[in-house]
Amino acid sequence: MTDAAFSALASLADPSLLLMLAIGVLAGLVIGLIPGLGGTGAVAILLPVTFGMDPEPALAMLIGALAVVHTSDTVAAVLLGAPGSASASVTMLDGYAMARQGQAKRALSLAFLSSMAGGLIGAVGLTLAIPLARPLVLSFGSPELFMLTVLGVSLAAVLSRGNVVKGLTAGFLGLLLGLVGTSPTTAEERFSFGSLFLSDGLSLVAVALGVFGLAEIASRVGQRRVAEKPVELTGGWASGIREWLTHWTQVIRGSLIGIWAGILPGVGATAGTWLAYGQAVATAKDKRKFGKGDPRGIVGPESANNSVEAGDLIPTFLFGIPGGVPSAMLLGMLLTYGIQPGPAIVTDHLDLMYLIVWAFAIASIAGAFLCFLATGSLAKLTRVPFAVLGPGLLVVMLLGAFQESGQLGDLWVMVALGVAGFFLKATGMPRAPFLIGFVLAIPMERYYYLTASLYDGAEWMARPGVLAFAALLVVPVLWSLIKRLRGASGAADDGHRDEHENVAAAGDELEGSLAGTPWSAAVAVVAVFLFGGALWVSGSFSEEARLMPRLVAVCGLVAALVLTWQEARVNRRRAGRDAVKDAREPAGGSGATMLATRVEPRVDTPALTRHHDLVIAARTFAAMAAFLVLVMVGGYAAATLVFTPVFLLYAARTRPRTAIIYTLVLGLVLLSLPSLLPVDLPLGALQ
Amino acid sequence: MTIVVAYADTPPGHAAVAAAVAESTRNRETVIIVPAVRGDAAPDVGELETRWPDIAGRVEVDRGDLGDPSDNVIQVAQRRDARLVVLGLRARTAVGKLVFGSTAQRILLDATCPVLAVKPTVADG
Repeated sequence: MTDAAFSALASLADPSLLLMLAIGVLAGLVIGLIPGLGGTGAVAILLPVTFGMDPEPALAMLIGALAVVHTSDTVAAVLLGAPGSASASVTMLDGYAMARQGQAKRALSLAFLSSMAGGLIGAVGLTLAIPLARPLVLSFGSPELFMLTVLGVSLAAVLSRGNVVKGLTAGFLGLLLGLVGTSPTTAEERFSFGSLFLSDGLSLVAVALGVFGLAEIASRVGQRRVAEKPVELTGGWASGIREWLTHWTQVIRGSLIGIWAGILPGVGATAGTWLAYGQAVATAKDKRKFGKGDPRGIVGPESANNSVEAGDLIPTFLFGIPGGVPSAMLLGMLLTYGIQPGPAIVTDHLDLMYLIVWAFAIASIAGAFLCFLATGSLAKLTRVPFAVLGPGLLVVMLLGAFQESGQLGDLWVMVALGVAGFFLKATGMPRAPFLIGFVLAIPMERYYYLTASLYDGAEWMARPGVLAFAALLVVPVLWSLIKRLRGASGAADDGHRDEHENVAAAGDELEGSLAGTPWSAAVAVVAVFLFGGALWVSGSFSEEARLMPRLVAVCGLVAALVLTWQEARVNRRRAGRDAVKDAREPAGGSGATMLATRVEPRVDTPALTRHHDLVIAARTFAAMAAFLVLVMVGGYAAATLVFTPVFLLYAARTRPRTAIIYTLVLGLVLLSLPSLLPVDLPLGALQ
Repeated sequence: MTIVVAYADTPPGHAAVAAAVAESTRNRETVIIVPAVRGDAAPDVGELETRWPDIAGRVEVDRGDLGDPSDNVIQVAQRRDARLVVLGLRARTAVGKLVFGSTAQRILLDATCPVLAVKPTVADG
C-alpha cells in the first residue's frame, strides 16, 4: 500500500503532470474568486479541457482546481461581503466583520491557513479511507453495488436542503434523463425519438454545465450590483498566522466535520461549512463575538469547506456514488475513460487514487501560498460585475460542452437544460440529486441486470450487505416521517442544532425565490407530464429495456404527484391568505367583488423582484439561443466576435472601450486555444 | 442589569415572560426578548408591551447573529451581560428529547449566568 503511495508521488515529479496540476490550481483560484461558480464551476469549466488527455494529467488538473476553489472564494467574502461561492457565505459572517474593523489581513490569513490545513487533513482522510474501505469494497457483489447506486440517489434527495419530495422528484428526473440513449442491456434506443444524436445519450458536460453553469449565469446577470467599496487590505499577516496556531483544535474539528459532510451524498460544501460553524459556536464558552469578527468563526468553517471536497471523493472513488456535484462530474469523467469506480479502482487503479491524494495535498499548500502572495492584486477581480463576466463564461462553457461529442445539438440541449436548471433553482428544487441521478442511471441499470441474472428471484435481497443498505435507505425516510408527524401536531421546538435557516438567508437571492408560487406548481405539473409521457413511451420498449425506465417513471410520477398536491395546497393557502389580507384592507374600498380578481396582481416587492429576475433570465436565455444561431451560421469565432460586444453594450452596459478590448482578448484566446489544447471550434454553415 | 427571555409564542414561553416581568420590576431592569424557536418571526415590541404593560418602555427584542436559537439566547445574554436568563419548559418524554433534542437543555448547560426555568401554570395553558 505504501509502495503504491510513493510511486504515485514519484509520478507527480513528471513535469507534465506538475504543469497540469499548476494550471489546475491557478484556474481553481481564479474561479474561486468569481462569485457564484465554486467547485461545480471549476470542474465543469476544466472538464472539457481534459478530453483527449490521459487520465493522470486530467485528474491532476481537476483535483488541483477542486482543492483550491474554497481557498480563494474567501477573498470576496472577506473584502466585499459577497461570497465567492455559497459555502464562503459562512466565512463572511465573521470575516467581513473583522475586515471592516481594519483587520482584513488577519481574517484572510486565518482563512487561507485553515483552508490549507483542511485540504491536508482531507487528503489524509482520503488516504486512510482507502485501506479501511478496501476489504469492504472488495466484498461487494453486484447486488450491493446496485443498492449503493440506489442509496446514492435517494440519500442525495433526502439530505439535500429543503423538501424531501422535491429532492426525490429531482432525483427521478435526473435518472430519467440518464436513461435517454441506447439501453446497455438490449442495445435498444430509448427516448431518442428517432434522433441519431439522442441515441448516444446526453453528454455529461452539457447536462452539468447547463443545469448548473448556464442557470447560474442567467440568475446572476441581473444581480443587484455590490455598490459597497471593498474593504482596504490592512492589518498584518503575521499576527493572523500566529493566532491561527492557537486555534488548531478548531482546525481539526472543522476538517473532520467537513470530511463527514463530504462522505454523505447530497451534503455538500455549503451545508458542511454551516455544520462546522454551528459546531464552533456550540463548543465556544464565550459566544459574544460570533457574527462580529470571531476568529473561531473563520477557522472552523474554512477548514471544513476544503475538506468537504476531499470527503466527497471517498464515496465517489471507492463506492462509485458521488457525494456532491463536482464529484459527480469527476465520476462521469472516470467512466468515459473506462475506469469503473468501486472494486475496479481499488484493485487496478490504486496508483490513480494515490495520485489524487497527493495532488489534493500539494494543491492545498500551493493554493494557500499563492493566495498570500497575490491577494492584493486578485482582489480586484472580485469587483467585476457578473454581467461583464457572463459572455466570457458563456463562450467558454459552450465551447467546453462541444468538446465531448463535437455536435451542435449538445449545445442546444445545454441551453434547454439551462432553462430547466434555472427553474429548478428558482423553485427551490435541489439540483444535486438531479445530476447524481443522471450520472448513476446507467450503472444502476447495469448492476440491476447483473444482479437479476446472477441470482434467482429475490435471493439477492437477503444478502447482509443489501439488508444493511436497505436499512440505511429506510432510516432517513422514517426520520422525515416523524418530523412531518410532529410538525402536524403543532410542536414548536425542533431543538436540534442546525443552521439551515441561515443558509437560506445568507446564500443566494434567487435560490427558492419562486417556491410556493404558481411557477413552482407549474414545475411540478411539468414533472408529472414528463414522467407520464415517459411511462407511455416506455410501453413500446422490449421487456428487458422497459423495466428500468418504467420503474423510474412510476416512482417519479408518484413523487411528482405528491409534489403537485403539496404545491396546490400551498398556493391555495397563499391565495386564501392574500384574500384575507385584502379583505382587511379597507383602503381599496371597492368591496367584496374585487377580492377574487385582486389575488394575483398584488403589488409587493418580492413579486416585483421575482418578475425582474424572470425577465432578465428570459432575456439571457434568448441571448444564448441567438448566440447558438450565430454559431450555426458563421462558426464559433465569428459568432463570439459579434455576440460579445453586443451583449456587453446592451445587457451589461459597459463602456465601448471595455467591450472592444474584452472582445478582442476573447477572440484571440479562442483563436489560439486549438493550438495550445486539444480543442475544436464548432464550424458554421458559411465556413 | 438586564434579564434575557428565551421567547416562544407558546404557554411556556408566555410563562417565561411573565416570570421575567416579575423578576425585573424591583430594580426596573431591561428585559430582552430573544426568539428561541427556529423559523419564528421576532415578536413585535408593541405587542409585547400591550400584553405585559409592566415592562413597557424597557423591553427590547434581539435576534442574535447565529443560526441556532439556543446559541442566540446565550450570545445575547453574554453580550448584554445579563443577570439572568429566563426560559419556559414544556413536557417532554425521554424518548422525545432523545429524538428531537432540546433547546432548553442546551441553554441550561451552556449559559454563563444563572438560568430560571419556569413551567406554565394550568391557567396559562
